[in-house]
Amino acid sequence: VTATVGATRASPSVGLPLRYFAAAVVALLTASAGAPWLARELAGHYYQPRLFALTHTVALGWITLTVVGASYQLIPVVLQRPLWSERLARWQFALLTGGVVGMVAHFYIGEWSGLVWAAGAVAAALALHVCNVALTVRGLARWTFTARLVALGHAGLAATLVFGLALAGARATGGWPGDALAAAHAHFHLALLGWVVPMVMGVAARVYPMFLVAPEPGGRLGALQLAGLAAGIPLVVGGLLATPRLVLPGALAVAVALGAHAAWVVRLARERRRPRLDWGLRFLLTGTAFLAPAGAAGLGLASGALTGPRAALTYATLTLGGWVSLTMVGMLLKIVPFLLWQRAYAPMVGRAPVPTLAQLGWPAAERVAYVGLTAGTAALAAAVATGSVGGIRTAGLVVAAGAAAFAASLARVVARAAAGARRLPAAGPAPARSP
Amino acid sequence: VSAAAPSPERITEALRSVRDPELGLSVVELGLIYGVAVDGRTVRITMTLTAPGCPLGAVLPDGVRAAVGAIPGVDAAEVVVTFDPPWTPARMAPIR
Repeated sequence: VTATVGATRASPSVGLPLRYFAAAVVALLTASAGAPWLARELAGHYYQPRLFALTHTVALGWITLTVVGASYQLIPVVLQRPLWSERLARWQFALLTGGVVGMVAHFYIGEWSGLVWAAGAVAAALALHVCNVALTVRGLARWTFTARLVALGHAGLAATLVFGLALAGARATGGWPGDALAAAHAHFHLALLGWVVPMVMGVAARVYPMFLVAPEPGGRLGALQLAGLAAGIPLVVGGLLATPRLVLPGALAVAVALGAHAAWVVRLARERRRPRLDWGLRFLLTGTAFLAPAGAAGLGLASGALTGPRAALTYATLTLGGWVSLTMVGMLLKIVPFLLWQRAYAPMVGRAPVPTLAQLGWPAAERVAYVGLTAGTAALAAAVATGSVGGIRTAGLVVAAGAAAFAASLARVVARAAAGARRLPAAGPAPARSP
Repeated sequence: VSAAAPSPERITEALRSVRDPELGLSVVELGLIYGVAVDGRTVRITMTLTAPGCPLGAVLPDGVRAAVGAIPGVDAAEVVVTFDPPWTPARMAPIR
């Protein structure tokens, strides 16, 4: 394949994903402050409005905003076609952030009629996102591993938001016709396994080899990831809703997928050509390590070896706070500096000396973030498992300190990129043009 | 008096100023440059990217064209991006 210069310009304006990431970091700070604040509730049963507020701050505010922002940046680049509508994505951002704030606030105060309206705004925004991505990938000729996972993830997102709307509507009009707790479990797993897991795996497949400078592993581990998710998601969700005996085989299929993903990451790490691991890479690898306890807890719950709200909350902490959140922090420590660098310095490449991404970063703050978020999340999971209010409060404060350091490190990157861009001469046209 | 046509060494030196921001390595150290051809005062660079969906897909070739075009004696710089053969990490210089 040969192309002349300019043929690969498909990425959207960097401001689009950056606004999603900024809102997501605010949600992470809010959620991490919420853990010590809600320590007493976290030591009890999770089926209560304030913990729903916390869960949705994490799942919608932090995780979904990050994944949507990353998808707007990466899908056009990876699939080499421009986003169908950037304008729609900007309007969708306002609708989504407003809806998430409304949902969290209404969960917190336990006001259900307002919750339906807020959930409707979130559903409308995510439906627009699904449409935007579907129209972007429409007619795609080459369905790579990442493209398949992106398609699976967006199908899962569509199913999750329909299910979530049904739950919110039922809550406002008298209750779910069946086991409400089972429905909440099914909704959580549809969002986690159907939306978040495929997107994390798909993005990882594209960016980890670039970050680690490693050859992309062969197809068997990829096939296991896809097959495990495709088989496991309907079994787990259907089992939780209607047929409990399907849950364990579904969980085993998902465990195969996640195990294949972990094995793939380990292989990349071993074969990498980049000997030194920066803090972003350490987050990515440590996040993957959290798959082991998270998967064990999930299988324990699916098999009945573990029972009760504490075990379920521990599983959620290890999964959302451990694997997903640490992985996303690692990705943002890579993606955000790159986007800011692209906006500030890309026009100067080849024309003037420009900094590297490492020179824009703040390693001391990243180190504090790494210690706080990894150790704090592990301690939080242990404290939740034992129901220790004091332990949850202490671990939550450590997580909050780590999140604050992470936000500070990103803020420093923003400041450095802005200051550096002001010092650079304006980029003119290239001195010599192609004939 | 106009400058003489540039030597391949001078062009390679200019290419070393075009760096991947993530790795801190130049396009030469990364093994992205497949060929340099000088025809009078026209320079043609054949290069690759680490993958077809590389986020620097537009930035690095533009930077190469700018760096080469700024060399005295170069009137025209042409950059051709190819993925045949595809890049592999084995083409890189060692990273410290």
